[in-house]
Amino acid sequence: MRGASTGIVYGGLKYQARCIADVKADTDHTSFLAGTLSLKEENEVHLIRLSPPGSELVCEGLFYHPNEIWDLKSCPFNPRIFSTVYTSGETYGASVWQIPELNSQSNAPQLEHLISLNEHSFKIKCVLWWPSGKHDKLISIDEGNLFLWSIDTSNKMAKVISQESVGMLHNLSSGAWDPHDRNAVAGICDSSLEFWDLRTMKKTSSIEQAHARDVDYNPKKQHLLVTAEDVSGIRLWDLRRPKCPVKELPGHAHWTWAVRHNPEYDELILSAGTDSTVNLWLAHPPGANDSMSESPVDSPKRPKDSLLNSYTDYEDSVYGLAWSTREPSVFASLSYDGRVVVESVKSYIRRK
Amino acid sequence: MDEKAKRTRELLASFYSTDPSAGGGAGVGSAASPRKMASPDSINSPSFDPDVYMSLLVQKLNLEGLLQKHVEMAAEIKNLDTDLQMLVYENYNKFINATDTIKRMKNNIVGMEANMEQLLAKITSVQSKSDLVNTSLFEKREHIEKLHRTRNLLRKVQFIYDLPTRLAKCIKAEAYADAVRFFIGSKPIFEAYGDSSFQDCKRASEEAIDLVIKNLEAKIYSDSEPIEARAEAVVLLKQLNFPVDSLKTKLLEKLEDYLMTLQDEHKETGASALDTLETSEPSDIGKLSDTILSLKTPTGTHMVSVGEISKIIRAYLIIFPDSERRLIELIQELFTKRYGIIERRVKERMTSADILKMIRVIWEDVTLMDEVLAEAALPAFSLEAARSIIRQFISTSFSHLLLEVSEALTKSQPMPKKGSEESSLQNALEGSKKVVIQGSLDLLLEFRQLLDDNLELLAKLRDLIVDWVQEGFQGFFQKLDERFLALCGKGYIANPDSSVIDAIQVDKVQTGLVLVLAQLSVFIEQIAIPRIMEEIAASFSGGGARGYEHGPAFVPGEICRIFRSAGERFLLLYINMKTQKISILLKKRFTTPNWIKHKEPREVHMFVDLLLQELEAVGIEVRQILPQGLVRRHRHSDSTGSTNSSRSNPTREDKLTRTNTQRVRSQFLESHLAKLFEQKMEIFTKVQYTQESVISTIIKFCLKSLQEFVRLQTFNRSGFQQIQLDIEFLKNPLKEFVDDDAAIDFLLKEVIGAAHERCLDPIPLEAPILDKLISTKISKSREESQSSSLA
Repeated sequence: MRGASTGIVYGGLKYQARCIADVKADTDHTSFLAGTLSLKEENEVHLIRLSPPGSELVCEGLFYHPNEIWDLKSCPFNPRIFSTVYTSGETYGASVWQIPELNSQSNAPQLEHLISLNEHSFKIKCVLWWPSGKHDKLISIDEGNLFLWSIDTSNKMAKVISQESVGMLHNLSSGAWDPHDRNAVAGICDSSLEFWDLRTMKKTSSIEQAHARDVDYNPKKQHLLVTAEDVSGIRLWDLRRPKCPVKELPGHAHWTWAVRHNPEYDELILSAGTDSTVNLWLAHPPGANDSMSESPVDSPKRPKDSLLNSYTDYEDSVYGLAWSTREPSVFASLSYDGRVVVESVKSYIRRK
Repeated sequence: MDEKAKRTRELLASFYSTDPSAGGGAGVGSAASPRKMASPDSINSPSFDPDVYMSLLVQKLNLEGLLQKHVEMAAEIKNLDTDLQMLVYENYNKFINATDTIKRMKNNIVGMEANMEQLLAKITSVQSKSDLVNTSLFEKREHIEKLHRTRNLLRKVQFIYDLPTRLAKCIKAEAYADAVRFFIGSKPIFEAYGDSSFQDCKRASEEAIDLVIKNLEAKIYSDSEPIEARAEAVVLLKQLNFPVDSLKTKLLEKLEDYLMTLQDEHKETGASALDTLETSEPSDIGKLSDTILSLKTPTGTHMVSVGEISKIIRAYLIIFPDSERRLIELIQELFTKRYGIIERRVKERMTSADILKMIRVIWEDVTLMDEVLAEAALPAFSLEAARSIIRQFISTSFSHLLLEVSEALTKSQPMPKKGSEESSLQNALEGSKKVVIQGSLDLLLEFRQLLDDNLELLAKLRDLIVDWVQEGFQGFFQKLDERFLALCGKGYIANPDSSVIDAIQVDKVQTGLVLVLAQLSVFIEQIAIPRIMEEIAASFSGGGARGYEHGPAFVPGEICRIFRSAGERFLLLYINMKTQKISILLKKRFTTPNWIKHKEPREVHMFVDLLLQELEAVGIEVRQILPQGLVRRHRHSDSTGSTNSSRSNPTREDKLTRTNTQRVRSQFLESHLAKLFEQKMEIFTKVQYTQESVISTIIKFCLKSLQEFVRLQTFNRSGFQQIQLDIEFLKNPLKEFVDDDAAIDFLLKEVIGAAHERCLDPIPLEAPILDKLISTKISKSREESQSSSLA
């Protein structure tokens, strides 16, 4: 199952890095944004583009970022806007940036700082854009709070609409915004997955016993999501039945760090782990019709068959993972040593 | 040739022709195909064409030849002419003869008529004479006949007057058949004249017949009478228009009652057997089976009663041939109830010997009955019953075994005291191993008894039993696997219905049990299955009632596969559970302090103690269950030499193996440059069922987690130094756990490297301070252990 090194490697990141994001709004090119995580040097944000024949990764832009980047999300409706979460020593912050016009010849142009999300009193964990299109709201999550911002990028304005404190005990670490419902957001707490309704800012439900590191909504089917967990690997959930997972996949030899549904073929799930591999899984989400045919005896065996490929061409833990929205058969992965690898899963899509 | 000659020829031909169609054909001259076929020069053919013939001749022969042919032909024609004349003559001759004969016949007939008339006159005279004789004798004959009739009548009257005495005589001699015959013979007379002339006589004979009926009835009821006599009595009664049916139902009811009492008896015995089951010690199996036996065959009475029943039934069959259906029902009911008792008993645990004994007892009865009542199809019926009984027996045996195994596994669970835990896991493992193998073998032995028994009934079931046993083992091991899963809290995937309960229990699962399960799975795969397979092959081969397309029911390969994967899963689960536990410890350690404002390290942080304690606990558990790796010594000395000795792993191809190329590119840290030249280090190798493999995997996972936790933090100089100190301290104790020094060294270095990267001001502690702090810690912990051992 070990994948041959078929990926296209981009070695332009000179420092360690954790974050990579697909530039969803760029409809002309398959491009990704990657941010470095260097404590001592000046950090960079790279705009990486897959050259049209799909054989090479080109650096389209290199921008200095003042602090080390712990989270990077691209704006889903404007290819030049993205958000970062950064720390510098003891300070932390979250900002929305705009990439300057690319025709200027300067080697490392300055990013245009649009908005600072500076209402946080705890360490900021991540910023969420609504994934399904234009929406003037933004969510930021810190260890104890959930903020809903109203942003205006043209006027560089940001205003907190509402805030919900989850308390010190919960210790939020990450989250995801439901692409099917712009009022639903999932947050990862210490030992559970909590769901909020943004209108009331109240908790709606939760999945207990889930020590998740990452969560991703199914882009095609509502109520379904997948979590990456240290112990249990990858688990698929149906929010209508939060008691027990729909399916379990073994995950990685060490922690499973990130997990993503393919934006087009939602049965393809990609996971990245600290065992320096990226695994491609085939996990059919249970429809109403095949829930009966799936006999309970079979189900434990299934995950074995579900591993389509294991990409092992990495030399350090893989933290960053992003499918391309423009070309759903392509994904980019980023290992800690700063290597971006773009792979195509075309052969597995055709196989079905 | 002219027309006349041709006509003559045709006539001749049609007369003498051998071929009937030839005449017509030649006459019309239109039969095209034969003409073509026959050679034109054959003069005798029906399709002869003189013109063609001529032309042929002219062509073929010269003049001389033609002349010769002419002579020949003329001669032939002459011959034919004379033949024709002779024939005509002969025919004419015959005609003359016929005319002569007819003339002679006519002359002879003329004298006949006078003779005939003479004959008629003679016959008429004979007739008149005969009439005369007849009329003269008529009167006398009439008289004789009348006298004869009177005599017969008188004799009958005499018989009827004698009837009562005759009947009495018959009764005395017990010749009831004669009596009945007499009575029936005279019955029409009584019916006709009973009210008048023979009144007394009738009454007397009826009284006598009543007596006869009474006697016959008594005879039927009395069991001591020979069956034939009773049957005869019934026949006689029937002849007397006695209501036999009511008699029959009465008798059958009696039989029913009898059977009921018999059943009650059985029930009582069954019930009392149950009582004894409850009261007697469960372990006292010998005694138990004794009681079962003694109860099952209250030998004297029981055997007698069945014999009696069969006798009675035989009698009834003869007596009332039309009562068969009812009898069959009765008997079947009886046996259904008896098999039902066994079936109920089978639900409890019992040995196959007991079952065999019970079945045999009933089978004997069945054969006895079958002789009498073959139509009841009792053997087929018992075959069905025995089938279900044995099937149930086999399945309950397996479920008992399943229960025993899980009991053996869980028995040691609820005593988490430190002292007893030392050996409890081992006990659990050994106990469950023993239960699995011994239980399976015992079961096989039991089932073998079923097979070896020469009971005819079971011989028919042989193939089925073989199949059931095989199926049973297949199902047993599959269920065992499920049970194992459930025991370690993973069962809710297989069984979503009970998820609520199981999911809660996940946290309560003892890690030791998981390890026991892992090792037990290996044991089952490697030892138990082959052993059972051997046994099955030795005594349970064949079968095939399932049909060959399904193959044998017991597929050891599949079971082995299940348990191999189960073993791996449990081992991984164990490691996961342990690493998770340590992970939580590490997480607390790394998330609670503010690393950027960390104070200068004064001592080794106490989390290392906790870590080592955890590992110690793992060691204790693992050492109880898993075997030592064989190559330990060798490997130990080997791997201390150089860090380049990447461990060779035979199962590297396995997908669980994931090479971790931990060769971080040293872009900004010079210390990492060295790593570029180091061998690729495999951290996530396949776990083996050895103490070392499991412990080292856990340690590797923990160190890897440690590294990941470090990467998530930012340190000041003191924080970095604290990490350095802790890691430095861990180096030696960890190596005591694992023989794979290289990997540990590498990972520890990685942790320090990660901390170095995440440090704002990475200046390491100086070696003397490091040494001093470590030695203080070591001496302190030694003191603590001493004091605790003293206390």
